[in-house]
Amino acid sequence: MGSGEPVKSPIEKLNPLTKMLAIFCLGLATLIYPNSWLGLGIVIVLFGVAGIAHILTSFAKTIFGFGIPISLMLFFIQGLYSPKNKTIIADLGFAKLGEEGLLYAAKIVITLLVFLATFYIMNQTTYAGKMVAALTRSGINPQVGYLILASLNVVPQMHRRLDIIKEAQEARGVETTGGLWARLKAYVPLMGPVVMSSLTDAQERGMTLETRGFANTNVKRTSYIEVTTSKADTYLRAGLIIFLVAVIIISIWMRWAQ
Amino acid sequence: MRIDLQDLHFGYHPEHEILHGVDLTLAGTDPIAIIGQNGAGKTTLVKQFNGILTPTSGHVLIDGQDVTTQTTAKWAAKVGYVFQNPNDQLFLDSVRKEFEFGPKRIGMAPAEIKHRIDQVADLVELTDELDTHPFDLDDTQKKFCTIGAIIMMNPDVVVFDEPTCGQDVHGDHLLNRLIRHLTAAGKLCVTISHDMTFVAQNFKRVIVMSQGAVRLDGTPEAVFSQTAALKTCFITPPPLTQLAQAVGFTATPFTTDAFVRAFEAERK
Repeated sequence: MGSGEPVKSPIEKLNPLTKMLAIFCLGLATLIYPNSWLGLGIVIVLFGVAGIAHILTSFAKTIFGFGIPISLMLFFIQGLYSPKNKTIIADLGFAKLGEEGLLYAAKIVITLLVFLATFYIMNQTTYAGKMVAALTRSGINPQVGYLILASLNVVPQMHRRLDIIKEAQEARGVETTGGLWARLKAYVPLMGPVVMSSLTDAQERGMTLETRGFANTNVKRTSYIEVTTSKADTYLRAGLIIFLVAVIIISIWMRWAQ
Repeated sequence: MRIDLQDLHFGYHPEHEILHGVDLTLAGTDPIAIIGQNGAGKTTLVKQFNGILTPTSGHVLIDGQDVTTQTTAKWAAKVGYVFQNPNDQLFLDSVRKEFEFGPKRIGMAPAEIKHRIDQVADLVELTDELDTHPFDLDDTQKKFCTIGAIIMMNPDVVVFDEPTCGQDVHGDHLLNRLIRHLTAAGKLCVTISHDMTFVAQNFKRVIVMSQGAVRLDGTPEAVFSQTAALKTCFITPPPLTQLAQAVGFTATPFTTDAFVRAFEAERK
């Protein structure tokens, strides 16, 4: 989850729940809408949003890095071999390129991209603690909230740990670079300490939480992290819901009109 | 054995430099201590000695050979590095296997490994624990298990990152004996430590680091007598030394005997 980059953009200031609502509304709207044009429009708008959030470069890398290979794969499979293919655009000899399959592939790709893009923006602009605080405030059990936070935190922590252990084993003569076989062999001395130390860490963390009254059920919890719902949040949420409802109505109308 | 650092700069991120041009030569066999506040760059510095980290600019030469010319795993035969946390280094199911692991990696002959195990186990007092699982050892023994596993490879330089941390008096004595043994065998010990009494009593050369640069470098007497400079590096001399300084002795004693001698001298 976002490292909470120091750059304070308007996107970062939004309530995490607003961003989650955006993932839901935009993703669902793309899914429901009968063709891929709406999704394409949303992705283009999201590029603008990423620009405002100062994450345009990494955002573009992720979207293209995922979008291009998956598009090629799906266009190839669906375009050439989809059973829906009726209108043939081109004959490649070994297979025929069909319009229906291509459109279907485009729809899948664009839907995936909208989900990926919205999720990526939320991920990069939201401090994990703030998200969990927002969730807790909206009624989620704090223990569940902690579970989410802990799982999000454990990944970078294990990563750092793995780096140190890798260094420690290199210092004992283990080659961690080189051919595939050398790398595989190197993984055995790495995994032992990683797993063992994660287990001891988990136990220690549990005990630390107990000493801080984490399981105390008699009091109402407060959060150190302040989560605010600004006017922008309210308007944006209303806008997103109106957008989703409008898309649903238009989609039904478009299908009915066909 | 000789390690030369030439205008060494290093940073984990390009815009945030940790080491700002370190020039240093470590040679001979006199044990060297590196001290300094947390975050002064001590660990970052010693990790350059076997290529775990490589300089962003400048050079590290080991016996004249640039450290970047081969992998850390290759350097392991020459430069041993004992990590701070034993749990990062130990992973096998017996002390014996831990001891055999490194030497096998660097291609030591089985007969020599066998011979060395007895020797090293005796040195780190784990002879009776060779078939014990490392996680069943107590903290001090575990630390010595990691130390033993590195010494097994018979490197010319042994780097210890905080070997004194969390150890009892017996552990300190053992470490003292170990360092003297290695020195007598012609090895160079480089130790990072926060335990000033241990540093003053066991090392011939003390290097003080602060904010990514070497601030003081000399004998313990020369370093610990510079009270003003030490203060800016957030280092306090051993308690006995502070007392001697407070009452205005000219000498800088580290042991009770030295203190008494200094006292006698001042009284005349």
